[in-house]
Amino acid sequence: MKKINIIFSSLLLAVSLLVTSVAQAKDIKIGVSFRMLSDVGYKHGELIQDTVAEWNSSGGINGKKVDLILYNDECKSEKGVANATKLAYQDNVHVIIGSSCSSVTLPMVPVITKAKVPQIIPHSTSSKITLTGSEWIFRVPVSSRFYKIVQAKFTAENAGTKIAHIYVPDQASMDFSKSMIAYVKDEYGVDPVYEAQAGEKETDFRSYLLKAKATNPDALVCSGLVDETVRCLVQSYEVGIPKSVARVANSVASKVEVPTNAGKAAVGVSYAAAFAASDTRPIAKDFVKHIKKRYGVVPGHDFSQMEDLLTMLKPALEKAEKGFSGDLASDRKAVRDSIAGITNFTGLASGPISFCAAGSPECRDGNRTPVMIEYTKGGKNWKTKVAGTVTFNASAGL
Amino acid sequence: MDKFKEIIRQYPFLGFVIAFIILMLVPSVFFTDLYQSHLASLICINIIVAAGLNIVKGFCGQVTVGHVGIYAVGSYTAGCMFLYLGSGLWLTLPAAILIAGLFGMAFAIPSFRLEGPYLALATLGGGEAIRLFIENGDFFMSTYGISNIPQPIIFGVPFDTPDKYYYIAMPIMLIAIYFSFSVLRSSVGRAFMAVREDPISAAASGINVKKHKMLAFVLSAMFAGGAGAVYAHLPPGYIHPNNYTVIEMVTFLAMVVFGGLGHIWGGIIGAIIITIVYDLTRPLYEYQLFIFGLTIVLTILFMPKGIGGFIDKYFIDRRFKTKTGAASK
Amino acid sequence: MLLKTKKLMKAFGGLKAINKVDFELPANEIRGIIGPNGSGKSTFFNLVSGVYEPDPGSYIEFDGKDITNEPPHKVGELGLARTFQLLRLYQDMSVINNVMSGYHTLVPYSFIDAVTGRKKIWDQEKNIKEEMMELLSFVGLADYAELNASELSGGQRRLLVLARAIAGKPKLLMLDEPAAGLSPVNVDNLMKILMRLKEKYGLTLIIIEHILKVVMDTCSKVTVLDHGEKIAEGTPTQIKDDNAVIEAYLGKKMDDEEMRKALAV
Ligand SMILES: Nc1ncnc2c1ncn2[C@@H]1O[C@H](COP(=O)(O)OP(=O)(O)OP(=O)(O)O)[C@@H](O)[C@H]1O
Ligand SMILES: [Mg+2]
Repeated sequence: MKKINIIFSSLLLAVSLLVTSVAQAKDIKIGVSFRMLSDVGYKHGELIQDTVAEWNSSGGINGKKVDLILYNDECKSEKGVANATKLAYQDNVHVIIGSSCSSVTLPMVPVITKAKVPQIIPHSTSSKITLTGSEWIFRVPVSSRFYKIVQAKFTAENAGTKIAHIYVPDQASMDFSKSMIAYVKDEYGVDPVYEAQAGEKETDFRSYLLKAKATNPDALVCSGLVDETVRCLVQSYEVGIPKSVARVANSVASKVEVPTNAGKAAVGVSYAAAFAASDTRPIAKDFVKHIKKRYGVVPGHDFSQMEDLLTMLKPALEKAEKGFSGDLASDRKAVRDSIAGITNFTGLASGPISFCAAGSPECRDGNRTPVMIEYTKGGKNWKTKVAGTVTFNASAGL
Repeated sequence: MDKFKEIIRQYPFLGFVIAFIILMLVPSVFFTDLYQSHLASLICINIIVAAGLNIVKGFCGQVTVGHVGIYAVGSYTAGCMFLYLGSGLWLTLPAAILIAGLFGMAFAIPSFRLEGPYLALATLGGGEAIRLFIENGDFFMSTYGISNIPQPIIFGVPFDTPDKYYYIAMPIMLIAIYFSFSVLRSSVGRAFMAVREDPISAAASGINVKKHKMLAFVLSAMFAGGAGAVYAHLPPGYIHPNNYTVIEMVTFLAMVVFGGLGHIWGGIIGAIIITIVYDLTRPLYEYQLFIFGLTIVLTILFMPKGIGGFIDKYFIDRRFKTKTGAASK
Repeated sequence: MLLKTKKLMKAFGGLKAINKVDFELPANEIRGIIGPNGSGKSTFFNLVSGVYEPDPGSYIEFDGKDITNEPPHKVGELGLARTFQLLRLYQDMSVINNVMSGYHTLVPYSFIDAVTGRKKIWDQEKNIKEEMMELLSFVGLADYAELNASELSGGQRRLLVLARAIAGKPKLLMLDEPAAGLSPVNVDNLMKILMRLKEKYGLTLIIIEHILKVVMDTCSKVTVLDHGEKIAEGTPTQIKDDNAVIEAYLGKKMDDEEMRKALAV
């Protein structure tokens, strides 16, 4: 019986330890849960801490101190759900920032919706998240439903609708071409001028390319894994498809192997991204310089989206704070409504970002403008530029 | 007190009824927010896994690093039954236990021939194979996980919030502990230990070594499967292959090691303490892995039998000293 | 015959560890097995108890049943218990649990009973424990019941393996060098306990022992092995005078004085 005593008393002790971490009122509390695994992951955490520290040293939110509670979810839904529950019910935060992985954000949504805590997403792109219809979720990055058709729209608008497709039988590669074909058909009523499925691990695309050349296309899509994409691009010049024909690749184009191995053939190939370090706008240049100096890394989309999120959150909190009653539930609602009121926020990453009141994907996938990045130079010292942006209407891709 | 102890020993079931009543009251007396209920449910789930792991690892001495795979089998049995058949916990739980038991059988087979690190490698491979299989199958909704796995509704009351779900997870945990205690305190538990200590002399005593290894694997797999199902239905009812990696396996093992390998309370103590310590160190995320690694190393170095062994030693030494008069020194 | 082997054979590679041994043991006898190191004594035990599989052509019968190819736990179930030269104690189990696991085959309840934790089990467990405690007091280990086996002294360990082997109430008990490494006083003590146990449980015994005094004093008959072959069998007096034994085991013929010394080890 003694043993049972010890077990129970230690359980109770532990529980009472938990009880002691009761919230202190007055401060504005921000809870964060995202993946902080690698070195870069920790640096994302530092970015938030530093930013909030700056807010606090310059008067906080309307004079109120901001309390930051930072948890790691390791890209695991179990941890993310626990973090969301803890932040909502135990830490009593006003707003949650999170998460990185879609598979973590997805199960957080029902938790924060039940708890009625606004959550704003820095990184997850899955379109399923906002399809849940929650009134409490906001997304900063571009939704996957836009990413899925951005190349199609960009190509059709900029190159033309006479498109030749060559893809390998890999699932992602086929999906890319198929959804592009479907989009052009839906929007413009045009079929591809040429469509061919090459063999798996194809090394010689020339027979396909020659046939594609004969159709005199506006654009040529090479959709494969890295190696096939590179070969297809290089061989397209060998068979003499003119430079004026736009070369299009799927999202593997963002991998460094593509410009490195394709060399000159990568020039003009573009991919969609949330942010490019090569962005020449002063605001972006400053940011890149600042991050490089402070954290020793070139910022990617995750840095920039977190920065944008914080930049738009601050005025929203200031606006909401004016209506704070001290009652947590109504204060959280005030924060939610204030974030929902953000319109035309232009930051570092893609954008502008606008939210609205309804809990629909149209309202909460606020960022409908991915950036297109284009290679201007291939080889080892490859270079990129911002080729332009593509703006979708709110219901595109639904 | 002795009288009470005697009664409990005579009617072990009574002990569980008392524990049940106490644990039913714990939330209303001690819990101040819903998160504590969520944590309590997680503790219950971890206790089930750790208690099961203690059977095969602690008692029967069979190294397994694949248990997290069987836990995943439990979760995905529940998830898929909901997804394709619309089943709820009362159907998915027994099914998960059953199917996990079958997987346990498969995991037992290598233990007939392999030992120690080789068995660890074989089971590790098995566990990872299960996770990779789930991760690469559209059938399992691998990329975005299975969502909205429902919570039970009893008498029209949905147990869909953390505070309510505790009342589902806790009794299941108690039933699991009841089974584990029953087995481990019987001749079967002794036979497990004998197999762990020395299979050759166990066999000489008439203990069927293969059969008991098989039993240990199947039993502990059933625990893991049940826990997996309870986890799958835990609000918000979401499962994803990321939660069943080697890291989770190490955490489960840490629970058993820390609580006391082969101690009847081992897995339980370990699951409670490790889950709570993990939670308290949440803000120290950068050092968490380090803290856990250190805990395991220090436990193995200074408390090789874990907390349970430590407590035991204290009581047994005292009893022995009183008996032999050594206490007079 | 309680135990019978015919043409028992076991070769390890080219080494014939046991070579065509015919062996017969009636119930209630105390049989000694002696032989130089490496002569195959332990191998004989391992073959009979099923730890090793005998080579084809061998035959082993126990209590009227053919056990030639039975696995060890089956042999144990039939009532043949043994100890090991290297003891093979359950180091990390309490003394009482060591003994109680020796009782395994006699446990009256089923696995299902055990899982469901029915009350009758706890009564039965209580009875088993009481009985085993009695056995422990018999060998003088009752005070140590809750200690880990690894905490016992060398002499206590030998008593414990004895108790564990007897716990299952075997028909035949085979002891592999039960007194090795004990001081003369402890050897006497052990043998006394052993004889009392034999009386109490009506055991049949086979004892492998290098301490000749033990063999000569306690055994009614002795079997001598050398290089895996049975070279002699008879009463202790017969063995003492057997030329082959003297050649193989004692090295040379001894006079009475030398013999007395050897036997008094
Ligand atoms: N598993 C095994 N593999 C290979 N050889 C073995 C094995 N077991 C026994 N032997 C060999 O068989 C022979 C007989 O060994 P055994 O242990 O039976 O001798 P013993 O008579 O018990 O000797 P001791 O008095 O030293 O205990 C030895 O030469 C030994 O090396
Ligand atoms: Mg020997």
